[in-house]
Amino acid sequence: MMLQMQGLAGPDRPAATAWPLSRRIGLGLLALLAAFALLGPLLVDADPARQDLSASLAPIGSDFLLGADHYGRSLLARLAHGARLSFGMALLTMLSAAVPGLLLGVLAAWRGGVAERALVALSDIVLALPGLLLVLILLAFAPGHFLPLYLGLSLALWVEFFRVARTTTARLLVEPRIEAARLLGFGTPYILRHQVLPEIAPLLLTLAAFAMGTAILAISTLSAISVGLQPPTPELGSMIVELLPYYAEAPLAVLMPGLLIFLLVLGLQLTARGGTVR
Amino acid sequence: MTAALHIEDLTIRTGDRVLVSGFSAAVGRGAPLTLLGESGSGKSLVAQAIMGTLPPGVAAQGRILLDGTDLLRLGPAARRALWGRRIGLLPQEPWTALDPTMRAEGQLAEVHRYVHGRRDAGRAAAAGLGEVGLADAARHYPFQMSGGMCQRLALAVAHAAGTPLLLADEPSKGLDGALRADLVARLRREVEAGRLLLTITHDVGLARALGGTACVMLDGRAVESGPTARLLDAPAHAYTRALIAADPAAWPARPPGEPGPPVIAGTGLSKAFGRRRLFADLTVEIRAGEILALAGPSGSGKTTLGNILVGTERPDRGAVRRAPGAAPVRFQKLYQDPPAAFVPHQTMGQALDHLARRHALDPARIAHLLARLKLPANLRKQRPGELSGGELQRFALARVLLLDPVFLFADEATSRLDPLNQREVAEILREASARDGLAVLFVTHDADLAGKIADRSIALR
Repeated sequence: MMLQMQGLAGPDRPAATAWPLSRRIGLGLLALLAAFALLGPLLVDADPARQDLSASLAPIGSDFLLGADHYGRSLLARLAHGARLSFGMALLTMLSAAVPGLLLGVLAAWRGGVAERALVALSDIVLALPGLLLVLILLAFAPGHFLPLYLGLSLALWVEFFRVARTTTARLLVEPRIEAARLLGFGTPYILRHQVLPEIAPLLLTLAAFAMGTAILAISTLSAISVGLQPPTPELGSMIVELLPYYAEAPLAVLMPGLLIFLLVLGLQLTARGGTVR
Repeated sequence: MTAALHIEDLTIRTGDRVLVSGFSAAVGRGAPLTLLGESGSGKSLVAQAIMGTLPPGVAAQGRILLDGTDLLRLGPAARRALWGRRIGLLPQEPWTALDPTMRAEGQLAEVHRYVHGRRDAGRAAAAGLGEVGLADAARHYPFQMSGGMCQRLALAVAHAAGTPLLLADEPSKGLDGALRADLVARLRREVEAGRLLLTITHDVGLARALGGTACVMLDGRAVESGPTARLLDAPAHAYTRALIAADPAAWPARPPGEPGPPVIAGTGLSKAFGRRRLFADLTVEIRAGEILALAGPSGSGKTTLGNILVGTERPDRGAVRRAPGAAPVRFQKLYQDPPAAFVPHQTMGQALDHLARRHALDPARIAHLLARLKLPANLRKQRPGELSGGELQRFALARVLLLDPVFLFADEATSRLDPLNQREVAEILREASARDGLAVLFVTHDADLAGKIADRSIALR
């Protein structure tokens, strides 16, 4: 990951490659999924938790547009809510990893000295722990709750933002144009706003997409092994596990949450790829 | 004369734009060809067409015959197979062409080992390094070597490859007098060994020293060609005359002026990087309206001394005294590599607007200064990457002159410009110094330039 980041930080990246086909497809896919996640719960009137045991495992196209699960809950409603939950949590996790990561990275490169060494040491410590392990440690305090899951993921993900922001800023700070701007009388806020941020932003966009993909997969994985969010929360990972015993009767019901996770992560990866592949 | 490289009616275009049109030339054994011209004249495209490294979207038509084979008819794979075996390139910036992760001896040894399949590659490499005076640097990586050393290593590699055709792209760029003479001698030796040499340069002095035939290019056309000595002594085309006149050796001398009070003075300055001492107990004073040339071999601390005076670096010992009452922004610097001093995504207009807002500058004055520096208003919409080095350096000058500087540190500010642009930038500096009393520290390795532009010179080590 770090190598990839440094490679695309080259000075002469042509502007034309900022929106290649893969990024446009990725963003389009994300827009569709976001519309489903945001509008779905509003348009579909069904409560994702309302059970109708007479409609257990109803097929697609009956009373329920996408069928129902073993408790007769509308799969369309559950999928829309699940997508919103995954999307929202991933976005929140990414933001609370990206903002401190970016600020601390720029700060470390700018101040140097003890502050930089302390922050680098801290990030190395976090990096040495497997991300999921960190989340599991925090989840042990309050299993099934949203807060430790979110905190753990953010704590694991900020390191990448920090490292990219720090190395990019450090590389920029030694360039003549920063020295020239200082000599011409421009202050630190101007240099950060007009010279450092525009250079880091495209890298952060790529990283942000990767981080959201990681968060979505982590949330689903942890919920699937019953340490993340607990039923009856309509979470995509736990939906797969809940429906797995009924695979023989309703294979599509099992596959749909998985397909949704796949599309979400695919959209994010394609968006991220746009920045790395020339 | 039996020419072994024939270029016939070469036309290079991208889309509808013709970059090089109807170019014909020949290189024979013992008769090197030199393409002269300013940046953007299409001379590098000719070399790229011969190599087969034209950027995507740029196409070449015509014929390039190397010993009877038309290179333009060959496929990409066949052309790549010629590299290092039939065609060698001495690149413009050798340190970017060398492998940064490989020591000097390794870079040379791999040519012997893989191109020539020699078992004693290590010994051959050691001999080759000794021959270019790099025996002590055999274990160095490119970043541990100076520009001149990298250039000699690249030459040793090109020599070892022993290709029948050698292309040299701006080989004298950034080299000081002694290194340049050494380069000429080495290139002459390649010619005498029977290799075809095609040199691309804007250095009239280099063309003269290499001899053979020369061809002057302007806007993608050959405007004049012939034996080098005759062409340079009796130029027929106005552009050739301008190019020759722009050579610092041909400039009129600077009229002696009366320098004013001291603007900046460093006393007892010492600086060392680790164990390497750059200078010790150095005292330098520059007066208003005076241009001081600072010469010295690469790595002698010229830039560091200038940085200390302008205030971006601190001396280990000693003090810098500035003229009382002058604001810090009136001490400015011009950079060697113009694009590096500009923000790549900002248009020139934005950069000037931000500066105007920061210092409450009068827009009319900016427009007037840009006109004086021959910078048309439509350049304001362009980004730094779309401007030539000369235009950018004039923008850098405009940016600096807007702040009414009292002292300017010009760090090899003209060394990457072609002669016509170099002359223009130097003229502006001379004018600002004579008219506004600007004190200039002009770092250069070109003795002719230093002699013509400066009131006095000092040399480090």
